[in-house]
Amino acid sequence: MKTLKFTFTLLMITMAATVFAQGGKYETAMQKALASLDSAETSAGFIGTANQFERISAVAAKEWLPAYYAAYSNLLAGLVTADNRQKDQLLDKALLEIGQAETLSPDNSEIWTVKGYVQFMKMSIDPMSRMALMSAANTSLEKAKTLDPANPRPWFVQGQNTFYTPEAFGGGKKAAKTMLENAGAKYAAVKTTAALMPAWGEKRCLTLLSQCK
Amino acid sequence: MKTYLTLLLLLICGTCSLAQDTRITGTIKTAKGVAIPNASIAVKNTFDGASSDSTGRFSFNTSEKGKQVITFSAIGFGADSLQADLAGGTHELKLVLDEKLTELDVVSITAGTFEAGDNKKNVVLNSLDVATTAGATADIFAALQTLPGTQTSFSENGLFVRGGAAAETKTFFDGMLVKSPFNTQVPDQASRGRFSPFLFKGTSFSAGAYSAQYGQALSSALVLESKDLAEKTTTGVSLLSAGLGLDHTQRFKNSSLAAETFYYNLRPAFTIIKQKTDWDKMPEQYGGTLNYKLNTSETGMFKAFAQLSRSVLSLYTSNLDDPAAKKYFDNDNKNVYLNSTYQEYLGSKWKLQGGVAYSSNHDEGLQSAENYTRTDRNLQGRVTVTNYTGSLSTIKAGVETMYTGRNEGLGGRSHKYHDQLSAAFAETDLFFTPKLVARLGLRTEYSSYMQLFNLAPRTSLGYKTGAHSQVSVAYGRFYQNPEDDYLILQPLDFEQADHYLANYQYMGNGRIFRAEAYYKNYDRLVKTGSTLPENTGDGYAKGIDLFWRDKKTLKNSDYWISYSFLDTRRNFRDYPISATPPFAAKHTMSVVYKKFIDKLQTQLSTTYTFASGRTYVNPNNAAYLADKTRAFNNLSLTASYLTHILRQFTVVYVAANNVPGFRNVYGYQYSANGQMRKAIGPPARRDLFIGLLMTLGDNTFVR
Repeated sequence: MKTLKFTFTLLMITMAATVFAQGGKYETAMQKALASLDSAETSAGFIGTANQFERISAVAAKEWLPAYYAAYSNLLAGLVTADNRQKDQLLDKALLEIGQAETLSPDNSEIWTVKGYVQFMKMSIDPMSRMALMSAANTSLEKAKTLDPANPRPWFVQGQNTFYTPEAFGGGKKAAKTMLENAGAKYAAVKTTAALMPAWGEKRCLTLLSQCK
Repeated sequence: MKTYLTLLLLLICGTCSLAQDTRITGTIKTAKGVAIPNASIAVKNTFDGASSDSTGRFSFNTSEKGKQVITFSAIGFGADSLQADLAGGTHELKLVLDEKLTELDVVSITAGTFEAGDNKKNVVLNSLDVATTAGATADIFAALQTLPGTQTSFSENGLFVRGGAAAETKTFFDGMLVKSPFNTQVPDQASRGRFSPFLFKGTSFSAGAYSAQYGQALSSALVLESKDLAEKTTTGVSLLSAGLGLDHTQRFKNSSLAAETFYYNLRPAFTIIKQKTDWDKMPEQYGGTLNYKLNTSETGMFKAFAQLSRSVLSLYTSNLDDPAAKKYFDNDNKNVYLNSTYQEYLGSKWKLQGGVAYSSNHDEGLQSAENYTRTDRNLQGRVTVTNYTGSLSTIKAGVETMYTGRNEGLGGRSHKYHDQLSAAFAETDLFFTPKLVARLGLRTEYSSYMQLFNLAPRTSLGYKTGAHSQVSVAYGRFYQNPEDDYLILQPLDFEQADHYLANYQYMGNGRIFRAEAYYKNYDRLVKTGSTLPENTGDGYAKGIDLFWRDKKTLKNSDYWISYSFLDTRRNFRDYPISATPPFAAKHTMSVVYKKFIDKLQTQLSTTYTFASGRTYVNPNNAAYLADKTRAFNNLSLTASYLTHILRQFTVVYVAANNVPGFRNVYGYQYSANGQMRKAIGPPARRDLFIGLLMTLGDNTFVR
């Protein structure tokens, strides 16, 4: 009896340890991927990071964060790519992945922010014929703002989009300034960010703000 | 107990995998041996994996053991996997991945056709290009006159393509033939098209050898594809020097409804800009459109469009035989156009498209003291089925039938006729490789009025010679019914033309270059003389068209240059011999330049057009159509200033036509005795058009 009880305990502990080890693996893998996202600078670097997140996403299929970061990495890879055709391919992949994240976590402010960001960048490749994506981007970002009014990122992305839009189309530094200031205030108000959660944009926001003056 | 603890620790450590790892290294390349950088390689269902470097090399460690699946993929390539038996040490892999074909890698049929759409790969002009081309004042047909193969037309309605008369170009709205795409013809003046360019997302202009899907055009097909669901709810106001318009679009979840109403009156503009035309009543037009789109399913789309308009005008034209008795022309036009189409995918292999269109165009008035009336009615039905057989190849087949009827009266006399034209067609795009495609098509038509069949084969071949270049050749036979003016007198035979063309196209890096050479042979054209009309005319047209567009070299700028060389003669209508018709200039050139100036928030656009002299009939010259006018020159400017008025997005639009004031002559009219002549020219040497277009509640320009 005693042996049976012990064996059972042992089995339970082993199982728990396995689960813990798997969970730990996810955390570790995510942290490692986030570190490589931080240090990436080139298109190849960002694609490598995206690959890492995609691998995690394939295993941890119920987590929205890996798909979200895969999309974000591909977006950044697209931003530093000069060739429009490759840029389009990367952004298309980003759109696909952010859609995947959206099915896992609908009504998530962070996801709608990246979606709006990608849509805007896709528009900017050929603004004349992709005018429709401009309003799609704005709709996504407005939704992101409503879903979490404290999230600074939709404000920052909208500010950045406005910054690079010609004044004639409702853009320009003047119009961007208010949005970026709003974003800045929201960034400052964020006290702590939970591990693995999105925390990007503050530095770039301040850089753009300084250029608005 | 101690032993148990050790055992426990061992067990836990075991799950932590402290045992020796396998090192996976290798290369990933295409079948041709080209390294694939940034590919992702992973052990399936684990976090273990790596990306390849610029030489296609990769390496990583995994703790997995035994039979495992290795997955690998890369952007622009497919994805694949293989089984590997991992047993520690180093495991060497040589991975091969196939390139995924994107639209841009695949050859397409480009002979004869200028695609213009918002999301197509062979885009030459998009809807905004049409709207902002100087000299076109947002008229589709005028904008197309900056493409090679077309003639500048100013005194007669229509598109004159590669030596063809206006009736040889047909306009198709979502696949359905539009019988009267132009406003009423005024003596010696070309009228605008009836449709706004903002209705369409795609324009495919074929200057020759077009698809078997379409018929009844000897020279050219203009295929307009209407937009899908409107993005959002907006209201627009237009204030123009020629009138005003109001439109509202309502977006629902799966549908959108747009309503537009317009009123044009040219009196204010014509009072300021002196007109040579002796107007009695200056042109006035009013009308409206309704536009409904419904997503019937994820892939299904229903569209319904209705346009109604009425216009009135009257004028005097000089009478060279009796200057005291001016000729009077008076016109009251009522036009109705209805178009409704449906399309749906049946499974992944089939697409079904169907449509019904109705049009009615009624003209009445006085012409030289006699009452005239003319009513054209058209009803068309069409069904097309497309099968996507292979990964690239398609087969398309369809049937259509069209009722055409005309009633006309002049003074006390009246004529009428009607025809039921039925057609069937089949066409396949056959890809031998992604680089080589053949299009084989066949079309047959039967006219109930003429009681005749025709059979028209069409074929083209395209070969991709490089990443950005391709060559194509095409042949096609084309038939059309003679014009209503002749058919109403008696049944005739189909007119026919054969097209042969060869085309080279380079498209990439924001630049497009096209060169096309063609030869057209006309036969069975309608001839009239002293006798009744008969199909005894013929002719030919040959030439070279060149096109260059560059959006890259100059910052914020876009320009294109078109040049056409045309050599044509024909013996048709009342020609006594074979001659070059007045609508065919030997050399035609257009230069369009557009630039957006950030600081001024303004888009500037300028168009220069040159056409060498045209022939005209001089009764004092024994040789027919042997005299030529002087060359035609025009320089137009358009400025669109983007701003906000009352916080609403607004475009202020100024268009000036023939800024340098070139004196242009289209041709000459002679008195019966040949003693007097009058130059036919534009009603005003220079022209100015001002507009203010406001979009309420949105930051983009929506129309």
